[in-house]
Formats: sequence, structure tokens, C-alpha cells
Amino acid sequence: MTPEFGHFALALALALALVQSVLPILGAARGNLMWMRSARALSVAQLLFVGLAFAALMRAFTVSDFTVLNVAENSHSLKPMLYKVAATWGSHEGSLLLWVLILTAFGAAVSFFGSNIPEPLKARTLSVQAWISVGFLSFMLLTSNPFERLFPPPIDGNDLNPLLQDVGLAMHPPLLYLGYVGFSIVFSFAVAALLEGRIDTAWARWVRPWTLAAWMSLTAGIALGSWWAYYELGWGGWWFWDPVENVSFMPWLLGTALLHSAIVTEKRDAFKSWTILLAILTFSLSLLGTFVVRSGLLTSVHAFAVDPERGLYILMLLALSIGGSLALFAWRAPMMEAGGLFKPVSREAGLLVNNLILAAATGTVLFGTLYPLFLEAVTGDKISVGPPFFNASFIPMMLPLVFVMGLGPYLSWKRADLAGVFQRLRFVAILSVLGVLAIWYMTMGGPVLAYLSILLAIWLFLATLREWALRIRLFDVSFKEALRRARNLPRATHGMTMAHAGLAVAIFGFVGSSAWKSEQVVFVGPGSNIFIAGFDVTFEGVQRLSGPNYFADRGTLVVRRDGEIVTMLYPERRTFPVAQSSTTESAIRSTLAGDLYASIAAPASEDAEESGAWTLRILYEPLVNFIWIGSFMLVLGGGLSLSDRRLRVGAPRRRTIDATTSVPAE
Amino acid sequence: MIWAGFGFMTLIAVLFAAWPLLAKGKGVVATEDGTSAVLVDQLDEVQRDHERGVISEGEADAARMEIKRRILALSRKTSDAGPQSAGDGNAAMYLAALFVPILAIGYYSINGTPVSSSRALEALQAEREEEQKIADLAQKLFERLTSEPNGGQSDGWMLLGQTYMRMGKHSDAVQAFDVITRREGATSETWSRLAEALVMAEAGIVTPRAQSAIDQAFRLDPANPAAAFYMAVSLEQAGKTKDAHDLLISRLNEAEGFAPWMETFVAKANRIGSEIGRAPVNLASFAPMVAGPGPSADDVAAAGDMTEEDRSAFIRSMVERLASRLEDEPDDLEGWMRLANAYTVLGERDNAVSAYEKASALLQNAPETDPRRQRIERALSELKG
Repeated sequence: MTPEFGHFALALALALALVQSVLPILGAARGNLMWMRSARALSVAQLLFVGLAFAALMRAFTVSDFTVLNVAENSHSLKPMLYKVAATWGSHEGSLLLWVLILTAFGAAVSFFGSNIPEPLKARTLSVQAWISVGFLSFMLLTSNPFERLFPPPIDGNDLNPLLQDVGLAMHPPLLYLGYVGFSIVFSFAVAALLEGRIDTAWARWVRPWTLAAWMSLTAGIALGSWWAYYELGWGGWWFWDPVENVSFMPWLLGTALLHSAIVTEKRDAFKSWTILLAILTFSLSLLGTFVVRSGLLTSVHAFAVDPERGLYILMLLALSIGGSLALFAWRAPMMEAGGLFKPVSREAGLLVNNLILAAATGTVLFGTLYPLFLEAVTGDKISVGPPFFNASFIPMMLPLVFVMGLGPYLSWKRADLAGVFQRLRFVAILSVLGVLAIWYMTMGGPVLAYLSILLAIWLFLATLREWALRIRLFDVSFKEALRRARNLPRATHGMTMAHAGLAVAIFGFVGSSAWKSEQVVFVGPGSNIFIAGFDVTFEGVQRLSGPNYFADRGTLVVRRDGEIVTMLYPERRTFPVAQSSTTESAIRSTLAGDLYASIAAPASEDAEESGAWTLRILYEPLVNFIWIGSFMLVLGGGLSLSDRRLRVGAPRRRTIDATTSVPAE
Repeated sequence: MIWAGFGFMTLIAVLFAAWPLLAKGKGVVATEDGTSAVLVDQLDEVQRDHERGVISEGEADAARMEIKRRILALSRKTSDAGPQSAGDGNAAMYLAALFVPILAIGYYSINGTPVSSSRALEALQAEREEEQKIADLAQKLFERLTSEPNGGQSDGWMLLGQTYMRMGKHSDAVQAFDVITRREGATSETWSRLAEALVMAEAGIVTPRAQSAIDQAFRLDPANPAAAFYMAVSLEQAGKTKDAHDLLISRLNEAEGFAPWMETFVAKANRIGSEIGRAPVNLASFAPMVAGPGPSADDVAAAGDMTEEDRSAFIRSMVERLASRLEDEPDDLEGWMRLANAYTVLGERDNAVSAYEKASALLQNAPETDPRRQRIERALSELKG
């Protein structure tokens, strides 16, 4: 019976969304306060009913109600409870329901926490949010009903893809969606502002926390996804430039640009068109991501849905929302007043460079992701655009950005003194060069691009720390005084330092684990020895073990260095008899210096059981953990900034002030 | 019950949709624009930043100037905008509150599945419990057999193996049958059951171990149909399709009268026969009593195009044709059986009973094991009871 309540709740949510998409915005246009106010109750009610539907679906999964088609197809009564719960959003229908749940949660959050937002702007924003809601709820009810029933029900279900039975992956879609869909509210704010014809400091102030929250979730979601790929897929890579990864990365790139552009709008009343356009495009890319993954356009580990009817519906939604919002932008943007002026060398100019580079990088990724699809659609040729393209185009583009990132925080608003800035960064530059020379001495070999990236990462890290030290006058005043000044600094400033340093740390990880990685794939039998990156690894053999719904072949590896046993590694290959597939559980010895990563791929021959011969893949990835540490710092930086409830003002610099004595403005 | 739940949910939704109507007059009317408040706050912020030494005096002054200019520009603009008229708008609210249940119930009445449902889940759970019970019993049997000093009775292992087969636990069944085949006096049937379990456990592949079990079964009793069947499967997999086909056909030819395994043999023979271009065979040609002239293909095709009345008239005419033919040839056993069946379907009980009785009389001379005896007995007891 509960599945029917879930189904009915979705129908009610759609009806409420339809009302919300019309009434509040009409109220804003007519000045009817009651109509505008209706958005509040409506958005909360929408969340209530979509939440109810989600709970009903989750219950169906936890009690293994196979009268629900979705449960029968994606679950199994023997599956561990955690994965039954996670299966709720593992399927196409369930993930859409999660999408809409987060969408309505953001709408309700705005009506709950947005008491400082003027009523007309809030009403328009919530109406726009409801348009998206209507689109996706109707999509779900018409083409992908999660509560489709199945009579008579099968005795047991079809299991979830065992590859997806992993804690990291269970958490991955919710976080990623939190980011993806979080940008919807920023989009709604932007469209509402265009309709209202007013974008200013105050607008940017209201939008700030929502942008930050969405950006943080997306960062965490992408990091978690790549962590999952690293641990679960058994290839030892953390990023494959796979289209499914790219579509989550593009909103992140543009979202990052949006985050910075909005700062300029908030502080200096400038960059209005940029901010609005970025808000529209960021969410458009999120929609594109949903479309690309959900339409089954791609065939990769992530793409489970294959149904042209659904694809067409999403494509229509996509064309309507992106086309409509861009048309609105083209019409209304010229009417926006220009804001604060600035010189070519200034904080604003630095952030403009940031916007430009990030937008260009997004374009590159977009091209690399969509070009093969277009080509296949037009000519029927199947090509794949992989890491070589992205490494050759995307990375060189990001290097100047990293350079400017080190510089940016030193620039003052409106006009800056470049010579003075460079003077202060002299030591940083010298230290960076010395650092990279030391690394070159240690590694003796590697691509030039790797050394260049490391150089810039050191530069960014040191410049960021130095800027923070200058702010609290770490070495000028007593330590106590510096501490007091650090406490007085706005938390947003700490957030920026943390996030920028985090990126530098992550770059160490990116470069270290790709440029200086050692890898061996060998056939081994009991007693085989492999030498890799200073380790001496002995393969002892394979044992058969059984788990709750799988059995596993577990290999035992003894790792020695200089004759001493360092650790034991137990990579597993799990076979899921019901789903008739298998997964790889890699074994990793993780240290800050690098990971020793082992996975057994498959028996070397058919009668492996007798001979004990297996294919062993063993890798050493230096600094790889810096990626997750850096990502965590990025998220933490965002959190610090989000917790800063103050208003922010960008104090402009006057012409007469002495460049060498002043501290750069916050 | 379910509709009460829907009603309750609808009520909640309508209350939310009509909320502004209910809350009218209670809320504070705060239409004032928040923008200038933000700008005023910004001025305070500049002051605080300056006091904490985050920005210099000069910067603070410049920032204050800019913010004041913005406030000025804003106030000029809002005064242009003129007052807005706030109409009543209650009608639209009522309309919205009405729209919500109409749309939701309308949609649901077309696409929903309100009847049903929880019962199917209960039935499913009952079935699953039943399976669990069997699994528990099998486990108990296994424990008892393994704990017995003589290693458990062969009959017990046989039962356990067959239970495992029914549960789809083929590998466990292999182990159960394996116990018996290792004992003195293992029969051909035991070996052929082991062979079947081995083949099923490997998803239809005949492994060397399965092959030796098949050979044993075949050696002990070449007449064992299961042994012959799996021998054919193994021949087919070895690429000796012709031999496999020949084996099946020869066993069918040797058969006397009808036995249930023959249908499987015919199906298998036809499947592999079509690969090597042999003509399909018919069960009737090996078990003659099953055969009998029925409606021709044209008759059936014609029946497909008819209306309901035409069709029942057509069927009735077919039945009458059969009945009149049987008056001329009263020894046609299969004919009587078909006629009896047809009368049963048409609901003519008395005619059906008398047709079955005719057939029963003809069966007097048939062997005791003829499966048709049972069929007739069952049909008669149903018709009379």
C-alpha cells in the first residue's frame, strides 16, 4: 500500500508545483502580497510530499517489496541492509526522485531561511524553482515512474550492480546531486533577477550562501566519486576524463567562476552580466549532465538508463530551460547598469582573468565530451576523446590560472600596484624555483609539464600562506598580537586561504600520482616476487572466502623493504552469483608519501585453482593522498566562508596611498 | 483504507495551498525593499573592519563614499517606481486550492494501482517463508545425515540431493549425490542424478567429471532415459551432433507406449536436428496412441478470423463432426478422449461423462501403467463429483 501513497504523493507534489510556478510570480508582477506569500507554504508542501514519496520508495527497498518494479529490478532480499537503502537512488527512477527531493529541499530552504530576502524576489525565485520542479516531476510521472507495480511479483530481485555495492558509491550520488541541483536555486535567483530587472550588491549577498553550499557539495561529490573509482575499479586511476566525470566537472569549473564573480558583484557592484550568465550556464551544465547520464547517451560504468523516449523528454526540458533563460538574458542583460569601474591591474581584473580561464576550460571539456557524441550522431563514426586530448588542452590552460591565483589576493580592489606585489612575492618566487629544483634532483626525470605544474603548485601554496601571514603580520608583531589579528580576520578570508592552499596540495597529488607512477601487470603464482618503487612484493597465493551475497578470491601479498616486512596486502576478487558478475577489491598501503596499490584481476588461466596463477596489477602512486587532502581543504574552505554571515565590502584603493605600507583589502 | 489515506494527504496539500488565506491578517506586512538595509549594513561593516584594522582609514572612506552613492541611486530609482496596487486575489487562491486535488486525483485515477497490492507482497512473503522452511528442513536433514555413524542412509542423501536440485542449489546437490555414488551398489539412477546436478551446476556444460558420471550411469543401465539424455547432451557438446540425434531417435524407437520423458527427447531431437538439417519428428510417430486426426491448419486459421458467436458455432460444428465420425469408428480411443475433453470445455457434462466412459471401456486391454487410465479417472471423478 505504501508504494501507492508514494505515487499519489508525487501527483500531489506536481499539482502543488504547478500552482507555485504561476501564483507567486503573478503576485510579484501584480504586487499581490498574498499570492507572493503562497510560495512559502507551497514549497514546504512540495518538499513534504516528495519526501514522503522518497520515504515510501526507501521502505519498498528495505522490506524488499518486489511488487514495485523498480525494487524487483534493482534489489535482492539477500542484499545487506545498507545497500538496500542505497539502492533507493541507485536506479534511474530512484535517482531522479532524489534529484527532485534535493530540488524541492533547496526551494523549501529558501522559504525557510530567506527571511531577509525581499518578498518579490523570493516569490519570483521560488516560482522559477517550481518550473524546474514541474519539468522533472512530470518527466518522472510520465516516463520513469519509480512506483510502477509488478503483478505477480517475482520471488526475488535482480540485485544491484555489484560494482555499485560500495559505501563510497552509496554516498556519492547524494552529494553530487546536492551540488548539481544546488545550483538550481542560484539559477532561479538569476532568472528572477533578470525578470525583476535588478541585480546589485544586495542580490549577490543573498545568493552567496546558496552558491557556496552547492559548490561545496559538488566538490565533495566529485572528490568522493574519484576516490571511489580509485578504490573500487581496480585500475589505480582517480580520474579518467570519462564523460560521466566530465559532466560533473564542468558545473564545478563554472561554479567556481560563479563563486568568484559573485564576490565582485557583492563587493563592487560589478560583473553583473558575468555573474548572471555564469549562474545560468552552471545550472545548464548540471542539466546537461543529468541528460547525458540519464538518457543513456553514453555507455560506461555509470550509464544504466537506456530509453530514447526519456532522452527526448529531457532534451526538450533542456532546450526549454537553457534556451529560455539565455534568451531572457540576451533580452534583459543590456538593461543592467554598469557597476564599479576598475583598472586593468586590480583585484577585479584578476578575477576577470579567473572567469575567462575557467569558462574557456569548461568550453574545452565540453567540446571534448560532446564532440564524439555529435560525430557519432552525424557520421556514425565512433571515436573516443580521452586523456591525451584533455592533458594537452586543459592542463596548459589551467597553469596560468594557478599563477594568477597566487597573485590575486595581493591585488587591491579597483586599482593595484603590480610592482609592489611582485616585490612582496620575490622570496616566494625564489623558494618555488629552489623547491622544484630539489624535486627534479630527487626524481631525475619526468615530463616538463609535471615540473612546471609542481613549480606553480609550490608558488600558489607559498604565496597563499605568505598573504595570510602578511594579513596577520605574523613576523612583524608579537606572536600573541598576530594570533589576535588572525582571530579578527573574517572567516571568509581564512576560507579563501584554506581553499587556495587546498588546490595547491591537490595539484601535488595530481602531478605526483600521474607523472611518477610505477605500474606492473604480471602473471604470478605462489612465491612470485615483484620489485616496485623500492618494495619487494611476494605473492603467497589465493584463498576462497565467502561473504553475505558473494564469494571472494583473496590474494595474500607480503610487502618488504630492505628485507623487513612492511605490511601485508589482501586484494580480493568478488563474485556475485545472483547478479552473475564480479568486482575487484583492491588492497592499498596508504601513506602520505604514496600508495602501494594491488589488485588481482583474473585467474591467469582457466585452471587457476590448481596452478594458483593469477594476474596481479601492482602500482605505486606517489602523493596520491594529497588529492583527497586538498579536496577536503577546498570543502573546508568553502565551509569557513559559508559560516561567515557578515556582509562583505570591497574597499576600493585610492590613488594616493603608499603601495608598500598598506595591507591589501579583504 | 487506502482511499482514506489519499483523502488525508489531499487535505494536507489543500491546507498548504490555501495557507495564505488562513493566515491572512496574522502575518506582518513587510513589503519594504531589503536592498537599502543591506547597504546600510555594509556601512556598519566598513566601520567594524576599520576598527579592527583590517582596512586603512583611506580605504574605509572610499568604501563609505561608494556605498552612499549606491544608496542614493537606489532611492532615486524606487521613488520612480510608483505604488503598486494590491488587489484582493482571494478567488485565485481558492482556484489554486481546488486545482491541487483535481489534478492529483485525476492523474492518479488514470495511472494509479489502488487495488491490490499489499496482498501480493504478503503472498510473496508467504512463498519466501515456505522456501525458507524447505531450506531449514534440508539443513536439518543434512546435519542428521552427517552426524550418523554410518554416514547416513542412501535414501536420505537421495532426498536431500533432490531437494537441493529443486531449490536450485546444484553444487550442494552434487555433494549429496556424490555420497551415494561412492557407496557399494550405486544404481544407474544415482549416477544419472549426479550427472544432471553436475551439468546444471556448470550452467549446462558437461565437465569431465560429469562425463564420467554419465558413462557410469549408461554402463549400469543403458535403458535409463536420463543417462541416454545426458549422453546425447555430451555428444552434442563434443560436436558429434549426428550421433546425439541418432541416440535420441533410437531410444524413442525402442520405447513401448507413452512415457513422460519422450516429450523431452522429441524436443531435444528436434532442436539439434534442425542444426544438422534433419526433418522434425513427432511424438505421435513413436507413441501411436497419442495420435489422431484433429482440425486441419485451415480450420484453425479460419477460427482465428471469426467473431465470438461464429467461433463457438464453429467449434460446435467441429465437435459434432468428431462425434459423428466416432459413431462410424467407435474403436478410436484418442478420439473419444478428445471428444470428452471438448464436451467438458463446452460445459456439456453428461456428454462428456459418456464419452469418457466409452474411452475407459476401450482402455480395458491397455497395460496398467498407461497414463491415460489415470487421466480418465481424474476427469470422471471431477465431472461426477
